[in-house]
Amino acid sequence: MTPPPGMADTMSPLERPRDSRANIDIIAPTKGAPWPYLMMLAIAIIGVIQAVIILAYQAYVGLGVAGYQQPIFWGVYIITFVFWIGIGHAGTLISAILFLFRAKWRNAVNRGAEALTVFAVMTAGLFPILHLGRLWKVYFLIPYPNQRQLWVNFKSPLLWDVFAISTYASISIVFFYIGLIPDIAAMRDRATGGKKVAYTILALGWQGTGPQWKAHSRSVLHLSGLATPLVLSVHSVVSWDFAMSIVPGWHATIFAPYFVAGAVFGGFAMVLNVLIPVRRIFRLEKYLTNYHFENMSKFLLLTSTICGYAYFAEYFIAWYSGVEFEQSSFWLRLFGPYWLSTWCMIIFNVVFPQLLWIKRLRTNLPFLFGLCFFINLGMWFERYVIIITSLSREYIPGTWGLYIISPVEIAVIVGSFCWFSMWFLLFLKAFPVIAISEVKELIIHEKDHGGSH
Amino acid sequence: MATVVSVFELPSKTASAVRKLKDRGFDDLTTYSPAPFPEVEEAEDPKPSPVRVFTLVGGLSGVVLGFAMQIWMSLEWPIKIAGKAFASIPPFWIVGFELTILLGGFFTLFGLLIVGGLYPRRLDKHYSPRFSAEEFGVVVNCEQRDISEVEMLLRGESAKEVTVVDS
Repeated sequence: MTPPPGMADTMSPLERPRDSRANIDIIAPTKGAPWPYLMMLAIAIIGVIQAVIILAYQAYVGLGVAGYQQPIFWGVYIITFVFWIGIGHAGTLISAILFLFRAKWRNAVNRGAEALTVFAVMTAGLFPILHLGRLWKVYFLIPYPNQRQLWVNFKSPLLWDVFAISTYASISIVFFYIGLIPDIAAMRDRATGGKKVAYTILALGWQGTGPQWKAHSRSVLHLSGLATPLVLSVHSVVSWDFAMSIVPGWHATIFAPYFVAGAVFGGFAMVLNVLIPVRRIFRLEKYLTNYHFENMSKFLLLTSTICGYAYFAEYFIAWYSGVEFEQSSFWLRLFGPYWLSTWCMIIFNVVFPQLLWIKRLRTNLPFLFGLCFFINLGMWFERYVIIITSLSREYIPGTWGLYIISPVEIAVIVGSFCWFSMWFLLFLKAFPVIAISEVKELIIHEKDHGGSH
Repeated sequence: MATVVSVFELPSKTASAVRKLKDRGFDDLTTYSPAPFPEVEEAEDPKPSPVRVFTLVGGLSGVVLGFAMQIWMSLEWPIKIAGKAFASIPPFWIVGFELTILLGGFFTLFGLLIVGGLYPRRLDKHYSPRFSAEEFGVVVNCEQRDISEVEMLLRGESAKEVTVVDS
């Protein structure tokens, strides 16, 4: 697939085609592989390998090694599943919802956030499988004609989850790829050798003709329209895994909006945690400016406040309901054996982010990085609190128990972060981390309209 | 037949050149842009993109398939669950909704591939990497006798370069 001679061959040699600054700056990080990058990639791969070995051991011995015992059969795997799905919400929110709201500042951050979404969902999707004792039977979840002559139970929230997560993963990948096509074409035009062949195939003959751009813009608009209710539905469906049951602490109508706000909050925190070092390492300060970080900080503040309201509403309703089981469940969250995780959740997710009311801190990147780290920790604890405190003390005191994280679970959590990091690191070297065509759109628009934007 | 290749710097100038060319009857032209600019796309082809039909058909197929699948499967092997009807519609909205989005999204992708002519293939003869930098291209196919008029029109709209590449 040798590309044809370009117009540069046929046109006057007087004016050498010069490349755009955006192409040069944004494609630069994909070139070369310095040793710190290779070291990080190696660590990530080693982390994945150790998790695979541990999981092979778990599959052989059984889920007991992952601390699965009466009364808690939804442990760290489900907590981490919800955590990663939540992380995966920021990308689609930035790409779809902010696109529909015409928030132009999203142009610089949407690609990184979309990539993060795809890899976070890829990570999350593994956990329900790892959580199965016989994980090779995972295909039982799919409705297909079988010898047992049985179909799946469409009235179960767990099955809704299968459809919600797989739809979300598919749409996120489609969205990500469609956005990438024009940038892959720009890379194709500047690559040589094997890379050129790969980009030529992936760019699908993109040339930026009028009909191509029109179809592209229309597709992005329609996908945004489809992805907006989808992103709101996914974490709602995940929340119904809990809310549809009668377990104290779970059976609440507030769960869907509560989970969605938490997901967006955690997702934005992860976007910042990833983009702040990427910006610094790859010298993208010109494209990822304080303006972007300030806007994302405002989003963090808004969603943190919604989370704070949801936490308050949960406790209020538990008290106001007069249901003894609800009341004791929430009392135990604050003052029971898991008090530390509850207070971490409240302090990291609601108290710390209030510092973002201070304008100076919204653009202080080391502060934001640290804050987002704690928010991610807090969001993981939020799911820990919801799942573990409720399951460990249900209605019958005889079945109460205490949950302690097992070393196998810790190894798998570490493995999940390594798995996510591995894909993100590979992405950094394969594709531009900022949407070049969208940046060029702003630059050219500014040039055309005399810097009025 | 001759081909006139021109390079522009600004989308507004590109769009106005294309409009003028079309007004003069030079319809056999192609534009190349480094980023989406609706004014250029509209000037080249004002018709709405048919991608929307793909999305609509995909979404409708999804919702019909989603509900039909669930209702049929529930009735095919009827098991009473939680005292509800075998084919109980309210919970089926979830999977019905997800399949609407899923097929709507996939059909949109197919729409883009079909309408945009996207598949791994050779690029146009006059395509240039400059058009994936920050410049715009307008390639016009015209009769030999019209070359000077086309050239004048393009230059009149501040084309950076105008070249007659083959005849």
